Amino acid sequence: MILGKRCGVRSLALLALAIPLCASPAHPAADAEGELIVALPDDTTNMDPRIGMGSIRSTYIRQVYESLVDVDAKGKPVPGLALSWKAVSPLAWEFALRPGVTFHNGEAFNADTVLFNLDRMFRRNLDRWGIKEVPAATSFEKAFPFVTRWEKVNDLTVRIHTSDPSPTLWDFIGREPLVPKDYTIKNGVEAVNDRAVGTGPWKLMEWRRKDSMRLERNSAYWGLQPQFARLRLQVIPEAGARVAALRAGQVGLVDAVPPLDATVLARDPAVKVVSSPQKLHCRLYLNGRPKDTFDSGGRDGLFTDSRVRLALNLAINRDAIIKKVFHGYALANASPVSSVSSGYAAQEPYPYDIARAKAMLAEAGWRDRGRGILEKDGAPLAMQLLFPSKHYGQAFDEVTLAVAEMLKDLGVQVTVRPIDFATLLQTVTKGTLPYDGGFTSCRTSNNLDADDYLRDWTALSLINWAPYPPELLELYKATRRELDPRKRLALLADLQRNVRDWAPVVSLYQEIKIYAHSPRVVNFTPLTELNMDFRGVALTK
Amino acid sequence: MPRFLLRRLLHTLFVVWGVVTAVFFLVRLTGDPTALLVDPSATQAEIAHTRHLLGLDRPWHVQYVDFLFGMLRGDFGQSIQLRRPAMQLVLEHLWPATVELAVAATVLSTLLAIPLGIVAATHQNRAPDHLSRLASLLLQSMPSFWLGLVLILVFAVQLNGLLPAYGAGTWRHLILPAVTLAAAPLAQNVRLLRAGLLDVLPQDYIRTARAKGLPERLILYRHAIWNTAIPFLTVTGLSVGFMLSGAIVIETVFSWPGLGRLIVQAIPGRDFPVIQAGVFVFALIFVLVNLAVDLLYAVVDPRVRLS
Repeated sequence: MILGKRCGVRSLALLALAIPLCASPAHPAADAEGELIVALPDDTTNMDPRIGMGSIRSTYIRQVYESLVDVDAKGKPVPGLALSWKAVSPLAWEFALRPGVTFHNGEAFNADTVLFNLDRMFRRNLDRWGIKEVPAATSFEKAFPFVTRWEKVNDLTVRIHTSDPSPTLWDFIGREPLVPKDYTIKNGVEAVNDRAVGTGPWKLMEWRRKDSMRLERNSAYWGLQPQFARLRLQVIPEAGARVAALRAGQVGLVDAVPPLDATVLARDPAVKVVSSPQKLHCRLYLNGRPKDTFDSGGRDGLFTDSRVRLALNLAINRDAIIKKVFHGYALANASPVSSVSSGYAAQEPYPYDIARAKAMLAEAGWRDRGRGILEKDGAPLAMQLLFPSKHYGQAFDEVTLAVAEMLKDLGVQVTVRPIDFATLLQTVTKGTLPYDGGFTSCRTSNNLDADDYLRDWTALSLINWAPYPPELLELYKATRRELDPRKRLALLADLQRNVRDWAPVVSLYQEIKIYAHSPRVVNFTPLTELNMDFRGVALTK
Repeated sequence: MPRFLLRRLLHTLFVVWGVVTAVFFLVRLTGDPTALLVDPSATQAEIAHTRHLLGLDRPWHVQYVDFLFGMLRGDFGQSIQLRRPAMQLVLEHLWPATVELAVAATVLSTLLAIPLGIVAATHQNRAPDHLSRLASLLLQSMPSFWLGLVLILVFAVQLNGLLPAYGAGTWRHLILPAVTLAAAPLAQNVRLLRAGLLDVLPQDYIRTARAKGLPERLILYRHAIWNTAIPFLTVTGLSVGFMLSGAIVIETVFSWPGLGRLIVQAIPGRDFPVIQAGVFVFALIFVLVNLAVDLLYAVVDPRVRLS
C-alpha cells in the first residue's frame, strides 16, 4: 500500500486531521485576494480528460479535475482522491477513497463516481447512463483489455478485477482525472468539456477559447490550498511576447521559456528562472519493420538490423546538442524510459564514437568503398528523414538538422524532408513510411510508471517501427505480470538495458522545461509531470 | 441598379459555393485528423474506431451532401479539436476581436494617409516628401512580427507598462496591435495617394481652378483628391478584406483572440469544420467588401454611375 500525502498526512490514523492540516499555512506577506496570471503558449483544446491529456492540456485540466493518484514535485505517487491503493489478490486492486470530498457543484465524490468514470474509460454502460461516447486519445478497453470488471465494496472502496496480474493498474487508472457522475448524466458529456466541474483546487469561471481561462480558488478544497484567490491562464503564443509581458509585470509566470532566453533571464534579478526535467523524450524513429507490416513494396525496413540502429546511436554527439542548442536545458538519456518515471533505471550513455559506429556497420555489411558513403551489395545506406517542422519548437528543428549532418558524417545518405505534423502522422498511420525512412518525434506520458514507455514496441502503432523481438517481448510481458515491486524493478531494469542495446530508436534528448516568474510568486515548484501545480503557491503584495 | 445588385448577389452566392466546395475537398486531400486525436501508441483498430466516431469513414460524397445541407442551415458541424459548433467559434473570434482590430487599423491607415500623402505630393522632392517616402519604405519593409515586438518592448517593458503587452478588451489593448497592423497599409496608402495626386495636380482643370483663384485647400480636397479616390478605394477595400480575414502575425504577437489564429491553427490540426466555416466567412467578407467598393465607385465618380 502506498501512503504519504502532499499535505503531510502519513497514515490512515491521521485521516481525521487531514483537512485541518491541509488548510494551508499562510505566507506572511501573501496577497490572499490576488490574481496570478500565467502566460502559456497555447490553449487547451478540451477540458474533458477522456478526450485527451497530452501536451499543454494537462496544465488546464488538472487545475479543475483530479485523479485517484496524485503526484509530488519529484514525480512520486501520493494519495489524491484515493487515500490508498493495493493489490488485494493477483487479479484485483482496491482503492480506498478520500471521504468528504465534493465537486465544485456540491456533488459528492464516492465509489459511484469512480465506477461511472471507469464505465466511461472502458466505454461500457454508456447507453445505461444516457451519455455519448467521445473520441478519446486512449482507448482503455483496447490498451488494457485484461481489466475485466469493477465493483463497489462500500461507499468509499472500489475493487477492480483483471484477467491477468496487473502491477501498474494503480497508475493507468489512478492517474486518469475523474468527472462528476450526476452532473455528466444530467448535462451531457459536452458540459464536462465546456463547463468543467471537478474536485480540484481551482473552479473554472470563464473559458475564452484560444485566449484565456479564469479560475477561482476552491475554498472547499480538501488539500493544500493556493494562497491567492484567482488564477488566469493566458495564451500568449509568441515566446518573446511572453517574456516581455513578464518583464513588464503584466504576467506573473511564464511557461515554456526558450533555452536561450532562460540564460539571459537568469541574469535578471527581477525574474526567477526555474526548471525541471520532463517526460518528453525526443527520438529518431527508424523503419525496422518487417515487410508485411507496412506499405513496403516487398522490402523489409532498412533498419531491421539492431547493429545498424546502435551504430547510428553512436554517431550522435549529444553533448554538443545539449550544450549548443539547449544551453544545458536538456538531458541525454539512453534508457527508453524517462528519467523521472517510476521504474526508470539509468543506462550507460551511448558514447559519441564514430570509429566504433563504423566498425559496427562494417560488421553488419555496410562499408565505405572510398566514396564517403556506406554501401552494401552496391546500394547506399540511405535515409529519408521526415520531421515535423515548427511543431515541437525551434530547438527540435535545429536538433533534427544537426542529427542529419552527424549521420552524413558517418556515411549515411540522409535526405531531410520537413513536413507538417499531421502529414507525418498520416504517413505513419497508413504505414507509408519509406523502407529507408525515419522520422524525428517526441514521446511523453501522462502516467508515472515506466510501462507506458516500454509498451511502445509491443503492438504495431504509430510510433512502433521496430517491434520487440520475441525474447524482449517475453521480458516485457514478465514486467507486466510481476506483482512483487522489487522483482518488478529488477525486470524493468533488465528490459531497459536490453532495449538500450537493441536500440529501437536513436535517442536524442529528454526535455527540461523552463519557467520564469516574478519574485512575487512564492513556493512555485515545477513538476516533472506535464502540468503546473499552484497548490501552496503564494503571491506576495 | 437593382439588376446590377441582383446580378452581383447571385455572383456572390456562386463564388462562395465554389470556394467552400473547393475547400471541402482540398482539406480532405491533405489528410485525416484522426491520428492527431489519438495517443502515439494507438493501434490501427483504435484509429479506425475514432474515425468512425467522427463520421470520417463515410464516403466523401455523403459527407459533402451533409455539409451542403448543414451549410444552408448555418450548421458547419462541430469543431474536431475544440468540440464546439464551428460557426459559433468563427463568429466568436470575428466579433468583436477581429472586427475591432480591422476597423481600428483601417481608420488609422486611411485617415493618416490622406494628410501625409497630400503633404508628400505638395512638397514633391523636398524634405517632407523625402521623409514621407523614407518612412513609407521603412514601414512597408519592416516585418510586422518584428515591429510588434519592438512596440511591446518600448511601450510595455521600457515605459513600465504604459500599454498592455498582450490581450484584448479595452482601447488600451487595441493601440499596439492596431498600429502594427496599420503600418504597412498606411505606407502603401501614402505612396498611392502621393502618386495619384502627382498625376492629377498638373492637369488642366486644377490649373483652371487655381486661375479662378480658388483656395489651395479647396482645390486639393474638393477637386484633386476625389480623382485619386478610385485606386485608393480599391486598395483599401482589399486591405479591409485581408484584415477582417485575420492578421495572423499580429494576433500571435499580441495574443489577440481573433479569427486568423483560429483558422491557421485549425489547418495543421485538420479541423475540417472550422476551416470550412472560416473560409465561408472569409469568402463572404471578401465578396461583400468588394461589392461595397464597387458601389462606392459610383458614389465618388459620376462616370461610373452613368456607365
